Amino acid sequence: MESMEALITQIQGLSGSVEDISHLHNLLKLTEESLQSEAPRLASFLGQLDPAKQSLGYLYILEAYTSAPISREQPSEFIMSVSTFINSCLAEQIRLAADKFVSVCKRFKDQVVLLQEPLRGVAPMRTAVQKLRSSSEHLTALHPDFLLLCLLAKSYKTGLGILKEDIFEIDQPRDFFLYCYYGGMICIGQKHFCKARELLRNVVTAPMSTINAIAIEAYKKYCLVSLIDNGQFSTALPKYTSSVAQRSLKNFCQPYIDLANSYSSGKISELESCVETNKEKFESDNNLGLVKQVVSSLYKRNIQRLTLTYLTLSLQDIANTVQLNTPKEAEMHVLRMIQDGEIFATINQKDEMVSFHEDPEQYKTCEMIEHIDSSIQRIMSLSKKLSAVDELISYDPAYLAKAGKERQRFDFDDFDTVPQKFNL
Amino acid sequence: MASSSGSGLTFKLHPLVIVNISDHYTRVKSQAQPPHSSSNGGWSPPPQPPRVFGCVIGIQRGRTVEILNSFELLYDPSTESLDRSFLEKKQELYKKVFPNFYILGWYSTGSDVQESDMHIHKALMDINESPVYVILNPAINHSQKDLPVTIYESELHVIDGIPQLIFVRSSYTIETVEAERISVDHVAHLKPSDGGSAATQLAAHLTGIHSSIKMLNSRIRVLHNYLLTMQRGDIPLEDSLLRQVSSLLRRLPAIESGKFRDDFQMEYNDTLLITYLAMLTNCSSTMNELVDKFNTAYDRHSRRGGRMAFI
Repeated sequence: MESMEALITQIQGLSGSVEDISHLHNLLKLTEESLQSEAPRLASFLGQLDPAKQSLGYLYILEAYTSAPISREQPSEFIMSVSTFINSCLAEQIRLAADKFVSVCKRFKDQVVLLQEPLRGVAPMRTAVQKLRSSSEHLTALHPDFLLLCLLAKSYKTGLGILKEDIFEIDQPRDFFLYCYYGGMICIGQKHFCKARELLRNVVTAPMSTINAIAIEAYKKYCLVSLIDNGQFSTALPKYTSSVAQRSLKNFCQPYIDLANSYSSGKISELESCVETNKEKFESDNNLGLVKQVVSSLYKRNIQRLTLTYLTLSLQDIANTVQLNTPKEAEMHVLRMIQDGEIFATINQKDEMVSFHEDPEQYKTCEMIEHIDSSIQRIMSLSKKLSAVDELISYDPAYLAKAGKERQRFDFDDFDTVPQKFNL
Repeated sequence: MASSSGSGLTFKLHPLVIVNISDHYTRVKSQAQPPHSSSNGGWSPPPQPPRVFGCVIGIQRGRTVEILNSFELLYDPSTESLDRSFLEKKQELYKKVFPNFYILGWYSTGSDVQESDMHIHKALMDINESPVYVILNPAINHSQKDLPVTIYESELHVIDGIPQLIFVRSSYTIETVEAERISVDHVAHLKPSDGGSAATQLAAHLTGIHSSIKMLNSRIRVLHNYLLTMQRGDIPLEDSLLRQVSSLLRRLPAIESGKFRDDFQMEYNDTLLITYLAMLTNCSSTMNELVDKFNTAYDRHSRRGGRMAFI
């Protein structure tokens, strides 16, 4: 116990400046095992420390304390204490012991899920993510946990805020898979099908050495989302997909590919029969809601195809072509599509005629200027990043060794021995 | 030596003369350049820029003197005078082509008038009673905004009781003929010698536009600062300047109507889109190189035994 007292006073003393913090960090690393052994009794010591100023010490003790199994009565207390810690801790100090922070937050998430109150965890997790990451382009291990809590709590908008930022650095590949998968699901929840498709495609085409379950689930959803968003789905994956994915993903997702084939025929009846036959599979994958959205999107696709052929059409004809039951239903569909901005048309209710128009966007407005300008700025920053990475890889010894071996040797003077390995 | 001219003559200088003088000077300078040999190891001071001499010809109508053309002359350093016979031969030849032109004076290069110049000037006085002396300063001075060309006349002044000829500076204007305008334009833009690919021409064009916009921007900034200090009260108000500024501002925008605004914005958007496309292409090419390098370095499945690059 005396060592604990000594440790507490040291933590309190050394939490001032940056050199003290690193000194303290080294000390704490040495005392890890003793902290683990005294886990249950640490609660009282936590009260003596101030999480706002002595975050590093608090974190170590908290982590040791929580590694012991939490008893049933204490979870909400535990949740309260962890959330106050997360809200008040100093970002620079906890980044020194990032893995401990991650494990504390993961336990926090498990408790919150166990208690079935994911909403309580959303805000603290968001603060935790913002404090842990070194820049907005950095993907930490906490990102997927945060998105999972948002999904469970159905607070999609908070998740969307984090998803808007582009990622350039990743800690662990598994984080990336989970992040994109959950992110895709959140976007589906908010009906941003375009961004969902992008995120799910990232999962499917990410480099992987063996097939993993996240990619399979993502591929199924990717198939459905691209049907809703684009109206077509091709089983050909982009060239940069890993060979493992290209070979094996299709085998796991056969019902979805059948669905895509019947969708491309354009007939509602075929699509619905296909859905019926594979209903259990879809249900077991929790994708039945999406499949229903696919069916309703087929109507939209057919109406959109009509705009390419006709200038005006009566509601009765629309209903017949698209295989809807009554003209009233056709009117409802067309009205909803006009409101969503998917087609440009006017409905004349007196003669029950619909006339289709061209896209009225003239690209003359100031908003368009700002839109293009911001896109140009984004591309410029991306280009700078790409050039930086390109330079980095040009210095890479692995690249230089291989590039040197393949040099052309034109004439005798050029025939110098290329170093196979650089001894630096 | 430099007081303003009192003779009341107005001088009009054509750009052809300036181009001729500068061409003469550049030719002589590049021919006299010693070959670049660093074998001796020592650093000799750069040689004095050579002085070139020649004659200017033109027309004098009443009080207006128009200097239209020039030709080169040989300078004899031993006698410090110009080659007379050569001058007369050239004069005859030029008279055949341009019967109206007379020898109006002579030119030289250098930063300032020198003592020996007076001899040459006096020597020419038998052809023309009052020759002019045109000096071109070949030193490139980026901060100087005007042409480095000065015209001097000679006047008889009484100094210390002795009447002496001294050089006095005269003002001049530049006058251009259509043909001269085209050649000056061509010289000013200094297109690359191979006249080459569209890319280099576009780059040269855009650089020109960029520098002119930069100059416009700096001048507007100067005006802006001036007006701000006037507003703060640091300098006294000057009404005439304020009137000029307000008349300048009232001249913009040149056209203001709905149709113009529409067309203008559409063109602006088109240009922005092209820039966007250019950036996308740039990014794609960087990405392509990056992927190639990455595959070379890390991909286990690349073909062994060296890939033959397409030449």
